[in-house]
Amino acid sequence: MKVSSSMWRWLLGPVAALGASVALAAPPARLVLPDFEDLAAKATESVNISLDTALLGLAAGFLDSSDPEDAATKELIGGLKGIYVRSYTFGADFAYPSAQVDLVRKQLAAPAWQRLLEVNSSREHTHVDIYVSVDRGVANGLAIIASEPREFTIVNIVGSIDLAKLHRLEGKFGVPKLALPQGNDGGKDDRQPDK
Amino acid sequence: MSPDLENEDLERRLHGALEAVDPGERFVPGVLARIAAEPAHAQRPPRAAAVVSWLAFGLAASVVVAVLLAHEWQLRRIEEGREARRQLVEALRVTDEKLNLAYRAVNTQQQAAPAEHSGA
Amino acid sequence: MSGDEPCTSGELLTQALAGERAAFGALVRAHQRSVYSLALRMLSDRHAAEDLAQEVFLQLYHNLASVSSEAHLGFWLRKVTMHRAIDRLRRTPRYASAAPEEAAAAASDTEHADPMLERRLRSLVSELAPAARAVVLLRYQEDLDPVEIARTLKMPVNTVKSHLKRSLAQLRERMNETADALT
Repeated sequence: MKVSSSMWRWLLGPVAALGASVALAAPPARLVLPDFEDLAAKATESVNISLDTALLGLAAGFLDSSDPEDAATKELIGGLKGIYVRSYTFGADFAYPSAQVDLVRKQLAAPAWQRLLEVNSSREHTHVDIYVSVDRGVANGLAIIASEPREFTIVNIVGSIDLAKLHRLEGKFGVPKLALPQGNDGGKDDRQPDK
Repeated sequence: MSPDLENEDLERRLHGALEAVDPGERFVPGVLARIAAEPAHAQRPPRAAAVVSWLAFGLAASVVVAVLLAHEWQLRRIEEGREARRQLVEALRVTDEKLNLAYRAVNTQQQAAPAEHSGA
Repeated sequence: MSGDEPCTSGELLTQALAGERAAFGALVRAHQRSVYSLALRMLSDRHAAEDLAQEVFLQLYHNLASVSSEAHLGFWLRKVTMHRAIDRLRRTPRYASAAPEEAAAAASDTEHADPMLERRLRSLVSELAPAARAVVLLRYQEDLDPVEIARTLKMPVNTVKSHLKRSLAQLRERMNETADALT
């Protein structure tokens, strides 16, 4: 039995609904991310992005408002105060140590963070945690920790982001469109490896 | 009396047949003319002009240097902005990819659940 | 622009962004063949293609700041050209026209082995459905791989591969029909 679209909306809905306004108490939503120098040294590819409010503003200035996807991106990031990504790809399965990851998980044990989703796929050997930071009843941050056999990723979003809008931009960032229930291609998963 | 075309032969011929062609000498002037014909506010602002004066040569030189520095700053700012935009797009791409990963994992679990129940 | 050495597209971009009209003209010259040819083979009309291609460069002029690099410029131009062409095809009725063959034949080099066959191929490509035609043009005119085509057209990669496979089969069949008809 597949996950129904209503369940997926149930996961996204509360975050999107709570994210209607931007909370002013920013610090709890911002994780302290280590440099992960050890991971970067072992990784075959790494992504290290830190965009604070100033850089987000600068980036927004270079989005083309007359281009529909740029305009949608501009709207999406309107409530953001920061977006931080650390992603590492390795040449062997589970080559990354968990100690530094645990430093991040400890921060997510703070009362301000609520676990929205924890899912473990034994078939794909992946583990994904999604947390939302709530301050006075308003969501002001999001954290995703994704462990895959050869890739490890942490995403920390500070501010409000409409996940439904992000999902609508799916396919625009070089990720092939997946057949998610919200109005995509009729339930077929088009993403297959090119090899 | 052409033999049946194998794919490789067809692809080679397609490359040849679809080689890009030139629009002609008038094309570039045509584009520039359309830009020039646009209302003044739609055109880009002119670059700052250097002020030349025999009597105020020293001042003019300072102004030129300041303009050049400002131009350099502007170019650097443009590069920074482009890089910030590129990083933003990449960050959103990774976020979307991991959310989809979570969705797929949830979906996989749901599919496995009935099989477990039937085997119990 | 100054200096004897030719500028790269990246340098031209920066100069054009700073307001140098000549640099923008050079950018247009560097990319006009690709943009015009895509438009021509999508629209099958020389004048419409020229008009569309000019509009693409006009749009580029107003959005230079959003182009981040030389590689991005190529992607941007192809993306905008194809989306505008597909959009225009949707809005206007399609006329069968021999004009693109004549224009393309007149402009293309005569060093190719079989100009008649290539002319026939171009004609058959112009009869493909817009999405399939777009995929074939990006593959064989622009030498893009399926992943790049998918990004340009915002299409799943497997759909791109399907279009390529089916279009090649269709073209081969039609070409063989032509060959049989002539024997």
